[in-house]
Amino acid sequence: MLEYNLRPSFRQKLMFSNTLTSPAFIAASGVLIITVIALFTAPYIGMADNGDFFRITYSNGLYFNQPDYDSQYFGYFIKQFGIFQYYNENQAILSSSQSLFIKLAIGLNKLLYSDKVFDVRFQAAMYTILYVCAIYILIESITWKMSRKQGLLIAAIAIFIFGDTAYTAFFNSFFGESVVTIMMIFVFGSWLALYRKRYNDYAMLALLVTSTVILTTSKQQNAPVGMIISVLAITLIWIRKDAFFRWLTMGSVIFMMLTGVATYLNISKEFVDINQYHAMTRGVLNLSSNPEDTLKSFGIDEQYAILKGTIYYEQYSTIDVKSPILQREFYSQYGFGPILKYYASNPGQLTSILNVAAKSAFTIRPPAMGNYEKSAGKEYGAHTLFFSGYSLLKQKLAPHTFGFVVIWVLVILGLYMPSCIAAVKEGNLRGIQRMALVLATMGVGVSGILVSIIGAGDADLSKHEFLFTLSFDLVTFLAVSNVIGRSIFKDVERNTTGAYNPEVHEGVGA
Amino acid sequence: MRNRVAMVVLPLFLCLLLLTPTPAQSAAAPPRVLLLFDSLAKGTVREGNVDELQKQLAAYSAQVTLVHLDQYVKGSMSDYSNVITVINAADITTDNHVFLEDLADYKGQYLHIGYNPTADTKEALHLSVAIQPGGSASLRIGGLPEANLQVQDMPYIAASQAERSYGNLLFLGSSVQVPYAVGSGKYTYVPYLKQGDGSSLAMACVLREWLHITDTPHSYLVLKEIYPFTDLNLLQQMADQLYQKGIPFIASIRPVFTNTDFPAMLRYLEALKAVQARNGSIVVNVPVIGPVISRSDDTLREKMSIFINLLADQGVAPLGVGAESYWTYDKEYAQTGLLFFDSAVLFPNKELHYMEQTNTSKAFISSLYSVPLDDLVTQYKTGSSGLTDLPMDTAIVADFPEDEAGMEKLLQKLEQSWIPFSDYKQEAHRVATDTHIITSSQGVISINGQELNIDYSPKAVSADFEYEHEQVKSFTRLFSVQNQFFIVAIIVSLVFFGGLLVIGYRMYRRKYMK
Repeated sequence: MLEYNLRPSFRQKLMFSNTLTSPAFIAASGVLIITVIALFTAPYIGMADNGDFFRITYSNGLYFNQPDYDSQYFGYFIKQFGIFQYYNENQAILSSSQSLFIKLAIGLNKLLYSDKVFDVRFQAAMYTILYVCAIYILIESITWKMSRKQGLLIAAIAIFIFGDTAYTAFFNSFFGESVVTIMMIFVFGSWLALYRKRYNDYAMLALLVTSTVILTTSKQQNAPVGMIISVLAITLIWIRKDAFFRWLTMGSVIFMMLTGVATYLNISKEFVDINQYHAMTRGVLNLSSNPEDTLKSFGIDEQYAILKGTIYYEQYSTIDVKSPILQREFYSQYGFGPILKYYASNPGQLTSILNVAAKSAFTIRPPAMGNYEKSAGKEYGAHTLFFSGYSLLKQKLAPHTFGFVVIWVLVILGLYMPSCIAAVKEGNLRGIQRMALVLATMGVGVSGILVSIIGAGDADLSKHEFLFTLSFDLVTFLAVSNVIGRSIFKDVERNTTGAYNPEVHEGVGA
Repeated sequence: MRNRVAMVVLPLFLCLLLLTPTPAQSAAAPPRVLLLFDSLAKGTVREGNVDELQKQLAAYSAQVTLVHLDQYVKGSMSDYSNVITVINAADITTDNHVFLEDLADYKGQYLHIGYNPTADTKEALHLSVAIQPGGSASLRIGGLPEANLQVQDMPYIAASQAERSYGNLLFLGSSVQVPYAVGSGKYTYVPYLKQGDGSSLAMACVLREWLHITDTPHSYLVLKEIYPFTDLNLLQQMADQLYQKGIPFIASIRPVFTNTDFPAMLRYLEALKAVQARNGSIVVNVPVIGPVISRSDDTLREKMSIFINLLADQGVAPLGVGAESYWTYDKEYAQTGLLFFDSAVLFPNKELHYMEQTNTSKAFISSLYSVPLDDLVTQYKTGSSGLTDLPMDTAIVADFPEDEAGMEKLLQKLEQSWIPFSDYKQEAHRVATDTHIITSSQGVISINGQELNIDYSPKAVSADFEYEHEQVKSFTRLFSVQNQFFIVAIIVSLVFFGGLLVIGYRMYRRKYMK
C-alpha cells in the first residue's frame, strides 16, 4: 500500500499544512542559505570572464572599468563594472532574454547602490531569489502528499544537488547559464505541478510558457529547446476538459514553437558561418579516416583537407574564414541536411564524436574559469570547493561515454513506461505528463549535443553540454525521488484500485 | 701560443657568426622620417593621403614615425633625417610654436604637403599659394604618362622663386600652368596629394629626389591570393604562360600552419616548385588575422619560422614577405612575423587588426610599393609607350584568377600594359630562420649557401596517407576474449533473471489475484 494513500492523522495533517516545515521550504531554505554564504560573504564566489562577457555587458550599458581587466581573463572573478554615463555606441550584438535580467539588476543597483558602478551581486541576488522559488515549486511538486520522512530525504538530496556552487556560481557572472538553470528548473517544476495538479493549472501553464520562452531566447543555441518542449506540451491540451484551457494551451504551444523558430531565424550570419565552418572542420573532417574522400563526397575540393581540425577563431590562419573563396567553394557545398546524411551513413564516426562529447557531458563547473576574486589571494584560475560535493562526485564517478547516456535514457524511460502505458490505457492525459516531461527534458539535453555536433562539430560542445548536465540532474533527481516516494511505476494520482478518478482531473481552481 | 689560439678561435668565431641565425639585417641605415599631420581628413577627398605617404616612404626603405602635430614633443625633430608635415585642413594654420621653433633650427630636409605652408617655407620659396575650387587638371611629371585629376578646393603654387621645380600642372579650360611642387634649400612644398589619383605617383617622384634615391627602380608582377585551395593546375598553367611570354613574376603564397604533412600540402608544395621553375619568385604572404585577437598568443614567430623551414626543406625558396602595410606599424607583427625578412611587398590595408600598434614603422631594405594592375591601367594611358619610369620599386598586383577565362583576361591585360617586369631574384634578398638562410642575388638563389637548382618537373602526390595513427594496444586478444565472455555472461544472466521474474509474477498472481 502506498504511503500517499494513507489517510494522514490530524497531527500529520497539521505538520504538512505548516509550510515552514514542508520539504519544499526546507530544500529552498537550504539552497538559499548555502548560496548566500557562497555568493554574498567573503571570499565571494563567482565566475571569471572567458571573453564572452563583452557582448552582453557592453550592449546593456556596462563596461570593464578595471584597468587590469585583460590580465584577469579566465583567472579571476570580477564583481564590479562601470555603467555608461553617456551615449552607448555598442549596439546589441545578441538579442537575449538575459538582457532583461541584467537591465533589471542595473536598475536595482542604481536605486540602492550607485549609478556609476555596477555590482554584479545585485544580479546574483535577483537570480538567487528566482532560483529558490524554482526549487520550492520543484520540490513541492515532487514531495506533495509524501510522508515526512520521504520528503525530508528528497529535500536533503535537492540541497546536495541544487545547492552545489557549480550551479550557483554562475549567478555572479554574465554567463547565460544562470538564466538557463533557473528557467529549466521552472519549466520542470511547473510541468510537474501540472502533472501532480498541485497548484492552479492556469498559473502553472503561464509559468511553464514564460520560463520556456525565457529559456529558449536566453541563448541562440537554445532554439531547439522551444521546439522540443512545445511538441511534447501538445499533450497538455487535453489535461482539462474546459475549452478555454484547451484553446489557451494550444495557443501556448504555438507560441513556444514560434519562439524557437524565431530564435533560430535570429541567429546572426556570423554565427551561421562559424557553425558551418566548425561542422566540417571540427566535425565531419576531424574524425574522418580519409578527409580527402570525405570532402569529395560533399563535392568539395580535396585540398580543403588542410582545414581539418582548425577553428574559426584561429588567430593566425591560412585563409580568411569569411573569404569569398570559402563561400564559393566550401560553405556552399554543404549544410545541416548533407551533414546529417553523412553521419547517418557513417555511424562509427558519429559514435566517436559522441564519445568525445560525453567526456565533458557530466561537468557542471567549466574547468577553465576561476571562481575567486584576485583580492582573495587564491591562485589564478582556482576553483572553490565550498559545497561542491555533488559536482565533483558527478564528474569523477559518471562514466564518460555516450553509451552510458544511452543506457541512462533507456533505463529512465523503462522505469516510467508502465505508469505511462497505464495512463494511456485509461485515457488519462494528465497521467502521461510525467513521461512527457521526462522525454522533453531528455530531448532538450541530448538534442543539444546532437544538434551541436551536426551543426558545429565538437567546437561548441561545452556550451551545449551545460543543458545536458542540468537535464541529467533533473531527470535523475526525479527518478530517485520517485523511487524514494515509491511512485516510480505508478501514476501517483491513481486510486489503489487502479481506477481512474475523473474528479481529480477537473483541476485545481478555475 | 696566444696567436695559435687566436688562429683557431677567430675562424671558429667567424664561422659561428655566419652560421648563427640572425634576423634579416639592413645593409645601410634607412632614412628616419618624422611624419607630422594635422588630420587624417576622414570623409574628405584627401582621406588616405597620409596612408599613401606612409606606403611611399616604406617603398623608399624609410623608417617612419607618425605623430599628430599637436603631440609634437620639443626637440624630437633632431632625431630624424627628414621631416614631413601634412596639413589637410584649409582653415588651420600651423601655429604650434614648439614645432615652428624646432623647424627653424632644423638641419635636415623639410617637406610641407597641403594647405598653409609655414612662414619659413613661404619665405624660402617666395611662395604664393592659391586655391582651385573645382574642375579638372592634367599632371605631367618625370617619365610618367600624363594623368588627369579631378580637383576640389585644390591648393596650387600660384607663384614662387625656387631652386627646384617638380612636374607641371595644367588646369583644363584655362591657360594656367604651374609647377606641381617646388623646393629651395631644406624646404620643399607639395600643395596637393590625393590617394589613388595621378598625384600619388607624382608625390613619389618628388620623394625620390627629396630622399636622394638613386637606384634604378623596377616593376614586378605580383600574383596574390594563392592558397593551398587554389586551383593548382591553373597555377602551373599560369606559370607556364607567363614563362612563355617572358614575364617573370612573384607569387605571394599563403602560409599553412596545420596539417603540413597531408597530401594536400605536398601538392601545394609541388605546385610552388613548378612556379619557381617557371621564373616565379616566392614570397610568403603573412597569415590572416582572425576575428578575435588575443594578446597572449605569442605563436606567430614560431609558426612563420616552421613554415619557412618547411618550404626551404622542400626546395622552395621564399625571398620576402607580403603583408598589408599596417603590419609594419605593429610591434608584435614586426618583431615576430616580419622578423625573418629583409624584403617585403606591402599591400594596401583592407582591415586593420593591430595587436600592438606603434607609431614607428619597420623598414625593409627592399620594399615594394604596390599598385593594383587594374588601377594602373585605368589611371594612365599606358598604351604602347608603357609605364617604364615608375619612380620606386613597384609591385603591380593582381589576384590569382579563379578560372581559365580569368587567366586569359589577366594575361591580355598584362600584354596591353607594356610594363617591363623585372625578375625579383635578380636583386639581393635574404630570409633567415633558426635553421635556414635563403638568399638571392643576380638570379641565383641559395639555401644555406647551397645554390638552388630551380628546374623542376612536378610529381604526382599519392593520396595514400595515414590520417589517424593507430594507437599501440596491449593484450588486444585477451581483452577481446574477455569482452566476449562478459557479453555471453550478461546475456545469460538477463535471460535467467527474466525467467525468474516471469515465474515469480505468475506465482504472485496465482496466490493473490484469485
